[in-house]
Amino acid sequence: MIVPLGHVLILSTILFFLGLVCVLARRNLIMILIGVEIMLNAVGLALVGASSFWQQLDGQVFVIFLMAMTSAEVSISLAMVVYLQRRKGTVDVRAFDEMRG
Amino acid sequence: MELLLALIPLLPLCGGVLNACWGSRLSRPVQAIIASGAVLGSFLATLGCWSGAGTGVRTTLFTWLDSGGFSAQVGLLFDPLAAIMALMVTGVAGLIHLYAAGYMEEETDQARFFALLNLFVFAMLCIVLADNLLLMFLGWEGVGFCSYGLIGFWYQKTENAIAGRKAFIVTRIGDLFFTVGVLWLFARFGTIGIEAINGRAAELDPTTITIISLLLLGGACGKSAQLPLMTWLPDAMAGPTPVSALIHAATMVTAGVYLLCRMFPLVSLSPLAMGVVAIIGALTAFYAATCALTQREIKRVLAYSTMSQIGYMFLAVGVGSVSAAMFHLLTHAFFKALLFMGAGCLINLAGHENDIFLMGGMRQRSPAVFWLFLAGIFCLAGAPLTGGFFSKDLILASAFARGDFFHLALYGIGILTAGITALYSFRLAYLVFAGDYRGEELPHDLPRLMIWTLPLLALFGLGGGLLNLPHLFGGHDWLSAWLGRESDILELPVAQEYLLLGIAVGVFLLGWLLAHLRYYRFAEGESTRISRFLLAGWRFDAFYDLLLIRPFRWLCRFCWQGGDLGLIDGLVEGFAKTSFELGHITRFLADGRISRYLQGFAWGLLLIVGWFLLLAVR
Amino acid sequence: MATIVFYILGAIAIVATLLSITRNNPVHAVIYLVNSLFALALLFYLLGAPLVAAWEVIIYAGAIMVLFLFIIMMLELAPGKKADRFGPGWAQWLPILLLAVALGACTLLLTGLDSAGAEGVPRWYATPRDFGYTLFKEYALAVEIVSFQLLFAAVGAFYVGKPERKKRARGGV
Repeated sequence: MIVPLGHVLILSTILFFLGLVCVLARRNLIMILIGVEIMLNAVGLALVGASSFWQQLDGQVFVIFLMAMTSAEVSISLAMVVYLQRRKGTVDVRAFDEMRG
Repeated sequence: MELLLALIPLLPLCGGVLNACWGSRLSRPVQAIIASGAVLGSFLATLGCWSGAGTGVRTTLFTWLDSGGFSAQVGLLFDPLAAIMALMVTGVAGLIHLYAAGYMEEETDQARFFALLNLFVFAMLCIVLADNLLLMFLGWEGVGFCSYGLIGFWYQKTENAIAGRKAFIVTRIGDLFFTVGVLWLFARFGTIGIEAINGRAAELDPTTITIISLLLLGGACGKSAQLPLMTWLPDAMAGPTPVSALIHAATMVTAGVYLLCRMFPLVSLSPLAMGVVAIIGALTAFYAATCALTQREIKRVLAYSTMSQIGYMFLAVGVGSVSAAMFHLLTHAFFKALLFMGAGCLINLAGHENDIFLMGGMRQRSPAVFWLFLAGIFCLAGAPLTGGFFSKDLILASAFARGDFFHLALYGIGILTAGITALYSFRLAYLVFAGDYRGEELPHDLPRLMIWTLPLLALFGLGGGLLNLPHLFGGHDWLSAWLGRESDILELPVAQEYLLLGIAVGVFLLGWLLAHLRYYRFAEGESTRISRFLLAGWRFDAFYDLLLIRPFRWLCRFCWQGGDLGLIDGLVEGFAKTSFELGHITRFLADGRISRYLQGFAWGLLLIVGWFLLLAVR
Repeated sequence: MATIVFYILGAIAIVATLLSITRNNPVHAVIYLVNSLFALALLFYLLGAPLVAAWEVIIYAGAIMVLFLFIIMMLELAPGKKADRFGPGWAQWLPILLLAVALGACTLLLTGLDSAGAEGVPRWYATPRDFGYTLFKEYALAVEIVSFQLLFAAVGAFYVGKPERKKRARGGV
C-alpha cells in the first residue's frame, strides 16, 4: 500500500484547479493553453491512480489516448494561435472580442 | 277584445319605431301624424276594451323569459284601475302630441322627438297594463330612459344634458330599491304576477311586508320625485314644454302613485309602511309648496307644484284611500297638463322668456290663453266646485276621518299646504297676467295647434269633480265604485263634512287674498335669506352634493389616479422597467471577454459538483 | 518508503505548477511546467504505470512542450511590456481564486465522503506485455480512431497555419 486513494485524488484535484485558475486568470493565449495542459495532466494522474487501485489497466490505456488526443489538440490550437497572432498582431485574449453583444 | 288590448301598447311602439328608423326621411307633417295617430289609436283601443274592464281582460302576448324555476310572460291585465289609468294616459298623451306638433314647428330634429315621445307612451302603458312586476319594471326603466332622452333633447346645451342625466341617475336610485323589492317578492312567492302576489300577500310575516313595502316606496319616490329623491324634477324643466306636460305632470311622475295603488293589497297590510308613505307625501307637499312660492321661472313653479300635488296623492295612499289618490291623479293630470301647455304658450308669446318677473300683462296679448290658464289655476288652487277642489277635499277628509292624532296632524299639514298652494298659484297668475308688461319683447305669434288642444283639458279639469262626486253634492262616488273600493267612501256626519268644506274654501280665499294684496301691483322687492333658501329648494342640491357627490368624485379620482394610473400602469410599466434593468445588469455577461466566458464554464462546473455533493451528503 | 516519495513528488508537482502559472514570461512558465511533468511521470511510475510514465516524458514533456516553445519563440512574445503583465489584477484574481477554492473544497469533500477513498493503492506493476494486450485487443478500435485523429489534426494544423498569400504585385502582362 502506497497511499490512500483519496490522497491521490486530492493531489489530482489540486493540480486540476491550479490549471483552472491559469485558464481563467491569464490574459496570454499561450498561458491559457498551458493551463489546459495542466488540467489534462491532473486528470491523467487521477486515472492512473484509480487504475492502480483497482489493479486494472483500463485507466492507463485511457491515459494513453488522452495523451494522443492532447497532442492533436495542441497542434491545432497552436496553429490557430499563430493565425490569430497574424491577424490581430497580439495574443492578448482581450483583443478577440468579436463575440461582444 | 284581447287584440284591442294588445294594440294599446303596441301602436305607440310601432309609431315610435317608425319615426326612429325612417322619420327623418318622412316629411314633417307625416311624422306628427304617425305619432299622434298611434297614440289616438291607443286611446280608441282603450275605449274599445272598456266594456270588459269590470271583470278584467287578460292576454298574454308571448313568453319572455323561461329559465329554471322562473318564467315571465309579456302579459297584459285590463282591470278597472288599469283601465282608467290607461284612458287618462292615452287621452292626455294624444292631446299633447297634437300640441307638440305645433310647438316643435321650428325644430329640425322632430323625428327623434316624436319617436321618443311614442316610445315613452309605450313604456308608460307597459307600466299601466302589465300583469307581472317584471314587465312593469321594463316599462319603469323605459320611461326613465325616454325621460332622460327627452329632458336632454336639446343636448347641444350642456345643462340640458346634465339635467337629463341627473333625472336618470336619481330615479335609478329609486329603481334599485324597486328591484330589490321585486326580487324579494319573487324569492318568497316564486311568481311575479301582480294578481297572484296581491292575493297571497297575507302569507308573509309583518316585518317582511313592511320592508318590501318600503322598498317599493323607494322606487315610487324616485319616479314620482318625492323626498328624498326629488331633486331632479325642477331641473327637468330644461326639456321642451310638451315633455314637461306629458312626463312631468300627467304620466311618469304618477307612475309611483300607480305602483302603490297596484300593490295596495300588499302595502296596506303594513301600518308602518302606510304611515311612512303618508308622512313622505305630506312633507313633500309642504316642502314643494314653500319652494314654489319663490321661483322665478314659470315652469319651475309648475314643477314644484307637481311635486306638491303628488305628495297629496301619496298622502291619500298612506291614509288608505286608493280612490282619493286616483281621483286626484286624474284631475291633476288634466289641469297640470293644461297649465304646462299654457305655460308653453306663454313662453312662446313672451319671446321664449321663462322669467315671470319679466312677464305681466299677458292678458292683453292673448285673452284665450289667459282664460284657459286661469281655469287651470283655479283647479290647482282648489277653487270650489272645480275638479281639483273635490279631489283634494276627499284626500283631506280621508285623513281627517281617521281621527287619531297622527292623521289629524297630517290633515293640518295638508290644509296648510293647500293655503300655500292657493297663494303661489295666484302669485303666478298675477305676476304673469296682471299689470303691465315688464319685459322687452314684442308680441309673438302662437301656432294655432297649441291653443286648440287646451280647451278640452280645461273642460275636463273643471268638470273632473263629476268623476267621484260625493253624496253631499248629489253624486254617486262613481270612481270609488268603479275601482271596487267602496271602503273609501266616507260616512262622516254632515256637520263635519260642512266643516271640512268650509275650512277648505276659507283657506282658498285666504290664499287668493294674500296673493292679491302682494302681487296685484307688483314691485320686485329684495331677495331675503328665506326667499333665497326656498328658491334653492331648501338647498337640497348643495346638501346632496356635499354628502354624496363629493365623496364619490373623490373615490373616482382615487381609483383613477391611485388605482388605474398608480397601480395598474405602475405594475405594467414596472414590469417593463424591471426587465430593462435586468437586461442592463446582465449585459456584462456578453461583453466579448473570453476569460469571462471561461469563467462561466467554471461556475457551471461548480453548480454540478455542488449538486453531487448535496446528493452525497444526503 | 514509497509513501514518502509520493508526498515529495506531489509537493514538487504542486509547487512547480504554481510557479508555472504565475510567470510573466511564457518560456519560464513552460520550463516550470516541464518540471511538473517530470514529477508527474515519476508519480506514474510509482503508481505502477511505467509505460505511461515513459510516454509522459516522451510525448508530453518531449513533444508537446517543445511545440509550445517553438510557437512562443516563433511569435516572439516579448515579455516585460507593461501591457503584458501577468494577471488581470487583484480585483479579478480574487473571484477566480475563490471559485477555485470552492470547487476544490467540493471535490475534496466528495472524494472524502466515499469510503473507498480511504483504502490504499496497492503496489503493483503493469508489465508492457499486459499493457499491449489490453491496448490492442480490447481497445483496438480506439487505437485506429486515435490514429485518424492524429492524421486530421496534422492536416488541420497545416491548413490553419498556412502563411497568407501575399497579394500579387500589380504586374502587367
